[in-house]
Amino acid sequence: MSADLVRPYVITNGRGLPDNDQFNLITLVTTSDQPRPSQLDPEKRSVLDLCSGGLLSVAEIAGHMKLPIGIVKVLLSDLSSDGYLVVRAPVPPAQLVDVSLLQEVLNGLQARFG
Amino acid sequence: MTHYIQDPALWALIAGTPLAATVILRERRARSKTRREKAAIESRYAELENSYAGSVHEARIRAEDATKSALKSAMRTLQGLANEQQLAISKAQGKYGEHYVLQDLLEIDHMNSQFGRRAQAIAVLCDGWLGRQRADASVYDVVRSAKGRIRHYTRVEIRSQSNFAMTGRAVEPVALALAELLDNATSYSAPDSPIDITTRTVPKGVCIIIDDAGVGMNEEEKKRADYLLSPQGPTDITALGNPPQFGFAVIGVLAARYGFSVSVDSSSPYGGVRAVVLIPEELLTSMPEPEEAPTPSRPLEAAAPENSTSTPGGLPKRSRKGSISIVPTADSTRAPARTEAETASIMAAFQLGTQSGRSANTEGHDPQ
Repeated sequence: MSADLVRPYVITNGRGLPDNDQFNLITLVTTSDQPRPSQLDPEKRSVLDLCSGGLLSVAEIAGHMKLPIGIVKVLLSDLSSDGYLVVRAPVPPAQLVDVSLLQEVLNGLQARFG
Repeated sequence: MTHYIQDPALWALIAGTPLAATVILRERRARSKTRREKAAIESRYAELENSYAGSVHEARIRAEDATKSALKSAMRTLQGLANEQQLAISKAQGKYGEHYVLQDLLEIDHMNSQFGRRAQAIAVLCDGWLGRQRADASVYDVVRSAKGRIRHYTRVEIRSQSNFAMTGRAVEPVALALAELLDNATSYSAPDSPIDITTRTVPKGVCIIIDDAGVGMNEEEKKRADYLLSPQGPTDITALGNPPQFGFAVIGVLAARYGFSVSVDSSSPYGGVRAVVLIPEELLTSMPEPEEAPTPSRPLEAAAPENSTSTPGGLPKRSRKGSISIVPTADSTRAPARTEAETASIMAAFQLGTQSGRSANTEGHDPQ
């Protein structure tokens, strides 16, 4: 067995990993209507091919591409800043509600129906 | 007349003449003998000198061979270690893909690639092997692989992609030769100047052109480079100077062994060196199919159950057909789109239904 011909740091051309939180494992991405450029890195082209059928999560793309997730994130952030990808942020987790408010609602309901 | 006979000088002359003749003869004989001896000694000396030079040459070849085989086996160990380490790094990169450690792992990977390249280059000079089996790969990937093996790889810009691929046999040697050329290009040009790579299709095959914006080479350097790159180039590693300059010698050996050609005798439009690598048709092939053709994702119901979808234990086996998206595709969300009139009638029906339900409830049974 031999390792990959093109190493991951060459794919990102030595750029640092994006430190913004635009992408996490369950961020969903899909292709935009923008036509593809004639010259595109093979990796970026396969990301677009993967996403062209619908929304895919970052984790799934990394799995199909057999690349480290950090590298996939660099590719995705490039493609989305160039407008070839549309990113849908994951549904934010429910906000924690103030306990006192819940208590008041409970009191009100008990006063009305209890 | 008689007074002559009585002259002792005459007798002395008579007696002296044969004596002198004998002396002269003996002298001449001795001289010719010395001459013969001298010639014999001279020829013997020349013979000795020849055999001395011969045995020195032989000893040098033997020493060279011994050095080569020692270096070759040492390099084989190092190459093996570099490959092993690369696999370990790949594994770690997959494992910590989301972690900030990945950045460090990428740097280690880069250093390991350079280390592997050095070991490969020395192995090539010692008639060793490159030690890697590769599948067919696109020219673009081979160029990128070469780019990853030098220190200042971010300065290298690949301008064009070609639709050709190289046979697996040629992938590693061409990548190594390109890496050596790129290493030269980055070492002999300003630290921030870019190195351009263009690929061009020519009747004989594909040309990979490397342009740098360095100081170029003078005539003497060009001549030496040509000599090192030619198939008649030196094969002994002791003739590469101190510190040894492996680059061109390695490229020359690889080009002769695998049948591609490299020239560095033209100058680049930026004033530096233009290196041209010509890959003949025999080493080219059509583009390889991607290993796993990325299939566009389909809605979940697309995966139809098959006959052999259960394990021997009778449990259902999961079969995945391409990528599965979590949410339906754009097509299926667009399907239930209704006209305004339809929406209105549906809402009206809904309202009617709830109204009648409420009224039936109040009429029929008492909820209390």
